[in-house]
Amino acid sequence: MSEQPVLSVQDLSGGYSINRPVLHDISFQVQPGELVGLIGLNGAGKSTTMKHILGLMHPQKGEIKVQGKRREEDTELYHSSLAFVPESPLLYDEMTVREHVEFAARSYGVSREDYEARAAHLSRLFRMEEKMDSLSIHLSKGMRQKVMIMCAFVARPGLYIIDEPFLGLDPLGIRSLLDFMLEVKAAGSSVLLSSHILSTIENYCDRFIVMNRGRVVAQGTLQQIGEQAGQPGKSLEELFNILIQGGNQA
Amino acid sequence: MNLRELYLKRRNQFWGEVVPYFGYVIQSGVAFVFLFLLIVFAAWYTSFIMNLPPDLPIRWIMLAVLAPLVINSSVRTYLRPADTVFLLPQEARMSRYFVQGWIRGVIYKIIGLMIALMILWPLYVRSDAAAKPLLLTIVVLAGLKLLASYGSWREQEMVSRSMAACFRCLRWGVVALALAAWLWQPAGRGLIFIALIGLTYAAAAAYPVRHLVPWERLIAVERRQASRVMQILSWFVNVPQLEQRVHARKWLSSWGKGVPWRKDAAYRYLLIKSLARSDMLGILMRVGVLGTFLVWISRDSLVGTVVYLASLMIVGLQLSSLRKMHRESFWLHVYPLPEGTRRLNEAYLLFRVQLLWALVMWLPMLASVAAAPGLTLGTAVAGFALVWMFRHAALRRDRREDEDED
Repeated sequence: MSEQPVLSVQDLSGGYSINRPVLHDISFQVQPGELVGLIGLNGAGKSTTMKHILGLMHPQKGEIKVQGKRREEDTELYHSSLAFVPESPLLYDEMTVREHVEFAARSYGVSREDYEARAAHLSRLFRMEEKMDSLSIHLSKGMRQKVMIMCAFVARPGLYIIDEPFLGLDPLGIRSLLDFMLEVKAAGSSVLLSSHILSTIENYCDRFIVMNRGRVVAQGTLQQIGEQAGQPGKSLEELFNILIQGGNQA
Repeated sequence: MNLRELYLKRRNQFWGEVVPYFGYVIQSGVAFVFLFLLIVFAAWYTSFIMNLPPDLPIRWIMLAVLAPLVINSSVRTYLRPADTVFLLPQEARMSRYFVQGWIRGVIYKIIGLMIALMILWPLYVRSDAAAKPLLLTIVVLAGLKLLASYGSWREQEMVSRSMAACFRCLRWGVVALALAAWLWQPAGRGLIFIALIGLTYAAAAAYPVRHLVPWERLIAVERRQASRVMQILSWFVNVPQLEQRVHARKWLSSWGKGVPWRKDAAYRYLLIKSLARSDMLGILMRVGVLGTFLVWISRDSLVGTVVYLASLMIVGLQLSSLRKMHRESFWLHVYPLPEGTRRLNEAYLLFRVQLLWALVMWLPMLASVAAAPGLTLGTAVAGFALVWMFRHAALRRDRREDEDED
């Protein structure tokens, strides 16, 4: 593809200690309008990869570019280009749902009119209208996760980093999230999505990155991953088992 | 499982983390300012006792100072969220764990109460013609403290929160009445009244339905108490901030709407919401009301100025905790906030809030502007200078921290 990737991770090695890198020479790209699934066992390095992309951890080797820029080149532009949904909701106890969404909108420089329209749409979509003025401490786990999703989607950046978003969400919430991801994808945004629910993301993601023990063991479309695993035509779950169990036995 | 040992281990662990900070507290300039204020207070108090006003409402003063110290009771449990799983099987034996905290809590608070009594005593015996004997007063206060601690613990255990709230009011009423009876009535009659009202209250507190161990409530209370210790330390040194109690305060929900809709002011929006719903605002309001009242009664002398500046300093110290509240906030690392705006927004908001308090607490001095214009205006200038110094010191500390990080 000749288009500049929204996210480019090149030869990334990193972790919590110099002597013990968790990630080993990871390379992948996310193109505009692409929905990419990042899959792997617990401890495979998915969340660590995301932390590096978010700038919460510094690469020991390699580089990460968002919209063609490294974080060090223009921190504000880098962070304006991405929004994050964490695996565990991280909310300010002292703010209501509406205030969280407003704070996110203000931080991303979303205009007041756009914020109001988007907040109304998102609260309807995720059935949070009645909870908009509730303090976050009074919300259930699933509702807290919905607030995180609303905060990310009110910003409308070019790239969404979404870590295990389905945990705690009710079936309607999962459906709303998947539909909305398709909506932002159609609008040209990209999504890097980590999830263990392979049967669900198989139907939504354009490409997949399979990680195991801090390395990318396969990446591409379902067809390409099937070819890399030597088992074309299998489901994502079957291919994942082949790739991971094969890798772990080796 | 030895629950007594577990309690002591946790207690030692907590204070083992806190005690090393005491050295920094002593080294910090603020600690010396406190010491200075203490010396000033001691000098003023001594001269006040030497020249007592004839109609000093000493019984009311004793009641106002001692009642909150007797009534307020808390127990450190050092419980953790995981205890709801791992200590649950020990629920029937948990009294062995809690008794440690209960005894220590009561002993330390009785010591504090006795210190307050000893400070007040010279004033009391010189002002009250029918002062009660010291030894008997100590016994009465210690007894009431035990009763209040028992009541407070019972309230924690109660299943119904509305019932607990009623008993909280009852605890305040009973102890205040008992103390008043001791101060106003002859000793014998006062003691009979205290015994009767105390027994009735204790019997009533045993009646409501209670949890064997109110796990979640005790864990939440413990978290608040630990956070309070850290908050006080944070006035002097950088310490990890623990979770704060949140108050809904719907009447303040529109505060922050006027913050300019710009990225560089977004952090101020968060700060305002944090301040509006924090414990800190409650403390600031209490300091403000008390400071205004004390300035009003001492407005004609230099004492008024000292009280004014001391109150303003407490306000500044309290507000300084706000700077640390979001220091490690995850979203402030992820959201695209323009560089440097965090410090500027903190300085902007804190300066204005402290200035507002400075103005409000200075207003009572206006009543003396005709009699002592120099003192009134000088106090205003000193107040403004103190607020400006807080701002200047904070900005300088920020710059130093930025340089250290670089």
